[in-house]
Amino acid sequence: MKANTNLFWLLSAFFGLSAVVYTGWNLLDDKHIVEWVGTVALVLSAALGAFLAFYLGRVRSHQGGELPEDTLTADIDDGDPELGHFSPWSWWPIFLAGALALVFLGVAIGPWIAFIGLPLVLIAIVGWCYEYYRGFFAR
Amino acid sequence: MHEFGLGIGHNGTVTSTPVNFAAAAQRLNRPNPVMVGTIVWLGSEVMFFAGLFAIYFSLRSMAPELWAEQSGLLNVPFSLVNTLILVSSSVTCQMGVFAAEKSKARSTSGNPKDWGMVEWFFLTYALGAIFVAGQIWEYATLVSEGVTLSSDSYGSVFYFTTGFHGLHVTAGLIAFLLVIGRAYAVKSFGHREATSAIVISYYWHFVDVVWIGLFFVIYVLK
Repeated sequence: MKANTNLFWLLSAFFGLSAVVYTGWNLLDDKHIVEWVGTVALVLSAALGAFLAFYLGRVRSHQGGELPEDTLTADIDDGDPELGHFSPWSWWPIFLAGALALVFLGVAIGPWIAFIGLPLVLIAIVGWCYEYYRGFFAR
Repeated sequence: MHEFGLGIGHNGTVTSTPVNFAAAAQRLNRPNPVMVGTIVWLGSEVMFFAGLFAIYFSLRSMAPELWAEQSGLLNVPFSLVNTLILVSSSVTCQMGVFAAEKSKARSTSGNPKDWGMVEWFFLTYALGAIFVAGQIWEYATLVSEGVTLSSDSYGSVFYFTTGFHGLHVTAGLIAFLLVIGRAYAVKSFGHREATSAIVISYYWHFVDVVWIGLFFVIYVLK
């Protein structure tokens, strides 16, 4: 995690420097104008790197030690924790994907299709969100 | 061999060093994959809005006189009030997160000090909804003054940037309802419900910061 954090800080510094050089170079050029697309993209790439580096740094200082995957002496099974809850058989993601495909199809070729797709998107999102909150899984 | 059973000590005739690393399995707070995933996704959202800002700046540098003329139509005091409403919704959202972290889903009294996550999130929802309604009112006013999506490049980029932000706020409002619904769906509010409350607060703060950027660029810098 420490390496990840440092890499993102490094990337952020690189993009920050690039933004300064890029903007300065444009200003020194014949036209003396700022080329906004590149400048904004580079500055916000620096922000993106700093954002991730800062968050990962916070996570690392909160976890109270090194993760097994960052420890050279760790065994494979030390890094075998509960990673989270993943449904092994849910149909909702593919339902949502299909509904979204209808919406975008509608945007591309005829809005009326999107109006059919949108309620399906809502059904899929609610279904997915509450999959483990109702029926057999209610708690 | 005769030392067998005398407890831990010298390991007989073996000459290799015994393995004496400290047990690697400390008690760790593993990074929550939902939260890390949300942050990484918000990172991609930064770049999405980077594209919108880049469109805005480059169109403005192409047509400064159009900007000087059109941005005079903006109702800055109105938008400032709307901005303050959105910023205060971030505060109420964070109060809801503090309650969720204490597994306090519902209020124990009417006093805001004793509010649970649900009450704070309903208040956040109301403030966010006022913001969106204010945006729509502002759009209606501007359209009546001739600034539309297809009127000129100023209109296009104004509705594009603020519109995509408004869509994000609206999606956040739906997400708040889903998180509130989860709090009602369970008998005991636990870690998973708190996680969804925390990640939506990440999203909400992000959308709030993007609006502060947009407000500064569109309404203050003009």
